Amino acid sequence: MAILTYDEAAHLLRRLGFGGPPDEINDLVARGREGAVDYLINYENIDNKAMDDALTVAGLTENRIGDNVPIWWLARMLLTRRQFEEKMTLFWHNHFATALSKVAYNQIYLQNLTLRQSALDRFDSLLLKMAQDPAMLVWLDGVSNVLGNPNENFARELQELFTMGVKDLITGDANYTEKDVREIARAFTGWTFKQKAKPKFRFQLRFFVNEGQHDNTSKQIYGQTGNFSGEDVISLIAARRATPRFLVKKLFEFFVYPLDLTNPDDRTTLEKFADMYMTSDHSIKAVVRAIFVSDEFFSERARFALIKNPIEFIVGAIRMLGAVYNPGAAVFLPALPLRVRAKQMGLDLMNPPDVAGWHLNLGWFNTAAMLERYNFANDFANTRLFDATKTQVWLTGDQLKKYTDPSAQKTVENFLSVLGPLNASPEIVQVLTDYLETDDDGNHVDFVVNDATVDKNVRGLLRLVLCLPQFQLN
Amino acid sequence: MPTTRRQFIKRGAAMAGVSFLLPEILLKGAHGQTAVDPNRRILVVIQLEGGNDGLNTVVPYTNDRYFSLRPVLGIRESELQDAQGKSTIITNKLGFHPVMSGIKDLYDKGRVAVVLGAGDGPNPGLSHFIASDIWQVANVAGDNSEGWLGKFADQGLAQGAGVRVLSSDDRSPRALASKKAIFPNVPSFAAYNFQTDAKYPGNGRRQLSTFNTYNSESFPPDSFLAAAAEIGLDAVEQADRIGAVPSTYQSPVIYPANNPLAARLKMVAQIIIAIPEVEILYVRLGGFDHHAAQGVAGNKRIGQHATLLQYFSDGVKAFYDDMVAHGLADNVLLLQWSEFGRRPNENGSLGTDHGAGSLMFVMGNPVRGGLYGQQSSLAPGDVDSDGNPRTMVDFRAVYATVIEKWLGGDSQLVLGKQFENVGFLG
Repeated sequence: MAILTYDEAAHLLRRLGFGGPPDEINDLVARGREGAVDYLINYENIDNKAMDDALTVAGLTENRIGDNVPIWWLARMLLTRRQFEEKMTLFWHNHFATALSKVAYNQIYLQNLTLRQSALDRFDSLLLKMAQDPAMLVWLDGVSNVLGNPNENFARELQELFTMGVKDLITGDANYTEKDVREIARAFTGWTFKQKAKPKFRFQLRFFVNEGQHDNTSKQIYGQTGNFSGEDVISLIAARRATPRFLVKKLFEFFVYPLDLTNPDDRTTLEKFADMYMTSDHSIKAVVRAIFVSDEFFSERARFALIKNPIEFIVGAIRMLGAVYNPGAAVFLPALPLRVRAKQMGLDLMNPPDVAGWHLNLGWFNTAAMLERYNFANDFANTRLFDATKTQVWLTGDQLKKYTDPSAQKTVENFLSVLGPLNASPEIVQVLTDYLETDDDGNHVDFVVNDATVDKNVRGLLRLVLCLPQFQLN
Repeated sequence: MPTTRRQFIKRGAAMAGVSFLLPEILLKGAHGQTAVDPNRRILVVIQLEGGNDGLNTVVPYTNDRYFSLRPVLGIRESELQDAQGKSTIITNKLGFHPVMSGIKDLYDKGRVAVVLGAGDGPNPGLSHFIASDIWQVANVAGDNSEGWLGKFADQGLAQGAGVRVLSSDDRSPRALASKKAIFPNVPSFAAYNFQTDAKYPGNGRRQLSTFNTYNSESFPPDSFLAAAAEIGLDAVEQADRIGAVPSTYQSPVIYPANNPLAARLKMVAQIIIAIPEVEILYVRLGGFDHHAAQGVAGNKRIGQHATLLQYFSDGVKAFYDDMVAHGLADNVLLLQWSEFGRRPNENGSLGTDHGAGSLMFVMGNPVRGGLYGQQSSLAPGDVDSDGNPRTMVDFRAVYATVIEKWLGGDSQLVLGKQFENVGFLG
C-alpha cells in the first residue's frame, strides 16, 4: 500500500472534493493512496443519511424543491459525506454546460440527476443520456431540430465542446468538417421530449423520437455513408481517438494541473490516460481512478497548481473549518447568500455563461471577483450569530478557539494548516503574527487568548488567511 | 499572465505619486462642471455576444434573394418603421431593424458609420469561441496572449497612472488582456469595495495594511500566486475611488429601464465623467445566438432579436445624449462588434445558424456618418461553400482605422500588419 502523507491526503480531498477538517484528512491518511482514492470514488458505499435528513428538513426534496434547485445542489456540496460525487457532477456540469438562462428549473434538476447517476459510466452512455436530456434538448435547440430544416446547434457543440474539439490535440488534424456538422444535425432530427401523462409532479419528462420529424435518409459522416441515427453518431464519436484525448485533457486539467501539449512529457501523459479509456471500454471510472492514483496527481507540479473556483473557495473554507451550515428550517427558504456570493465571484451555479462552461484558473481572477472573495471572507469570518430561520453559515467562538494558541505565531500556523495546509513563507507568517500582536493604532500588544481577542483578532486573522494568495489556489 | 513583479512595483510607485492629486479631481467631479479637455479621446467598445444577425440589423429590403432565404424572418419594406410609424429606412436598398429608431436618429444626424460586410476573411470561424478569440486578439503575427486593446494599451497607456482602461462586466474580456497591467472590471459600483469587520471599525486599517504587506511579498513570476497578489492589490488600490464614482454623478438623461446594456453604458458614462484619465471602456451584451425563435411571424418589432437590438439602440442613444449633456460628445467614439453573423437562410425553428460576414457600427460625433464597405451578396454563386456571405471588409481594417485615426496609435504594432483606412474617421 502506497503511503499517503497528511499533505497528500489534504491535496486529494481538496481536488476530489472541497476539503475537510483534520479528522477527515487523517481518515484518508490511514487508507493509503489507492485505498483513499477507492474510498472516495466508490462513494455509493458511504452513508449519507445525515445529509438526506437535513435536506428533508429544509424542504429541499424533489416534490418541494421548486426553484431552489441551485440551492439544493449547493447544500449537498456543503453537507455530503460523498464529496467526490458532487465534485464529479460539477465537472460534468461544466463540461455539458447548460444554463438556467434558457432552461427551466425542473429540466436542469433532471439533468443534474442524470449527470450524477451516470458520472462514472461508459462515456458513450453518459453522452447518449445528455443527447436525450430535456435540458440539453432545450439548451441547444434539439427540440426544434426537425426534418428538412435542421438546427445545427447541438451537432456543432457535441463535437466541438463535448467530445473531440475542433482539432485533434495530438495530431492537429481537423476532427470534422462543416458538412459533418450539418449531416450530424440531420441524424438528431426529431429528438424531443414530453411531459409524462398525469405526472405526479413536474419532474417527469420523457425523451422520445418524433418519427415524423426524423430524417430517415442516408447521411455522410466522417467519410462514411449510411442511414445513421443519433445513437450511431454517439457511438462513432465515442470510438474516435480524438475523443479520449479531449476528454482526458479536460479531466486532467480540472483535477490535476494544466497541460502544455508542446511538451513531449505532457503529450505522453495525455496519451497514457487516453489509452486507459480505450482499453477500459470507455469507462470514465477507470480513467479517473488511473489519474487519481498516478504519480502525476501527487507530484510537486500538481500541488496548488490550480486556482480554486468560487465553489471550491466557499465550500472549502466552510468544510475545512467545520463551520456550521444550516440549510434552512422552512420549506420556503429565505435569502440565499452563498449562491449569490459564488455568482458574484464568477460562478453562477447551474447558469454558466455559455455552452463552453466557465474559464478555469485565471478565468476566475479579475478585480471584481477578487474583491468579492475578500468581502465574502470578511462576512464569513465575522458571522457570529446563529439564526435558525435563515440559511446561514456561522462560526462560533469555540470553533475558533480550537485553533487558537497562547503563542500568536502558533495560532497563525494552526490556521494556515487547517485551511490547506498552505505553504506560506516565514515573512507571511511574521506579517500575520504581527497583526495578532498589534492594536488598532499600530502599537505592539501581547497576544492573550480570551473571548475578546478571539472575537476580534482571531476572526480578523481568519479573514486575512482566507484572502492570502495561497488560499486562492488549490 | 498579467504584470511582472518589477513592472507592478514601478506602477505602484507611479500611483503613490498621483494619489495626492486624486482628491482634487474628485472635488472637480462633484461640481460636474469641470472643463473637458478638448483633446480627450475615449473609446467605448460594445460587444454583441453570440453572433449578431447582420442581415436583420441592416435589412436589404429590396433583395428578393433575402426574402426567398428568409420567408418568415425577412423584414419587408412596409415593416421598416418603429412603433410610432417612423421609417427606419436609410437608403433605397437598406433599412435599420424597426426597433432601432434611436440609432436611426443618430444616423440621420451623421453620427453613425455602418461598416457593411465586415468579417474575418475567407475561412470564417463558425465556432463562437474560435471566432470570438479571432476578433478579440486580431493579431495576424505571433503572440496571441494579448487582446488587441490590451496590446494597444501596452504601447503606453497601461503604464499610466490611475484608471486608463476598464470594463463594466463581471469578467475581464479577452480584448483587454494585457502583458503590463490588470484592468479593472466593474459589474456594479455597490459591491466594489474592500470591507472589514463592522463590529471593530478601528481594526480596518490594520487589516488593509496586513493585506497589502503580504500581497507585496515576492512570488514566482508568471505564477498563479503572483496573479492573485497583483490582481488583488490592484483591485483594492482602486476600489474606493471606483466605488465612489456614482456619488458625484448627475444627469438630465434617463436611461431606459430593464435594459442591461443601457445599465452598463450608464456606468461607463459615470466613469468617464468621474475619472478624467480613463480612455478605453468595454461593455458586453449577450444572447445573440438565435438558433431558434429569433423572431415571430407577423410582428417584426417583437421577438428575441428585436429585444436585444432595442437594448442596443436605446442604450446607445441614451449614452450619446448623456455625453452631450456633459459636453463630452466630441470626445467619445463607440465601436460595436460581434463574432459572426448568421446564416442567410432561416432554419425550421425561426432561427438562424452560425454564419459570417456581418457588420460593425462606429458611432459618435467624431465619425463621418454613412455606409462603408458593402453588404455581401447573397446570390448562390457569391456565397461560400457553407452558404455564408463573404467578407467585404476585414474587421481589422476597422480596428486599424480606430487605432490610427482616433487613438493615435500604431496599428501595425497592434495588428501585426498594415490595413487600409476604412474612412469613417476622415
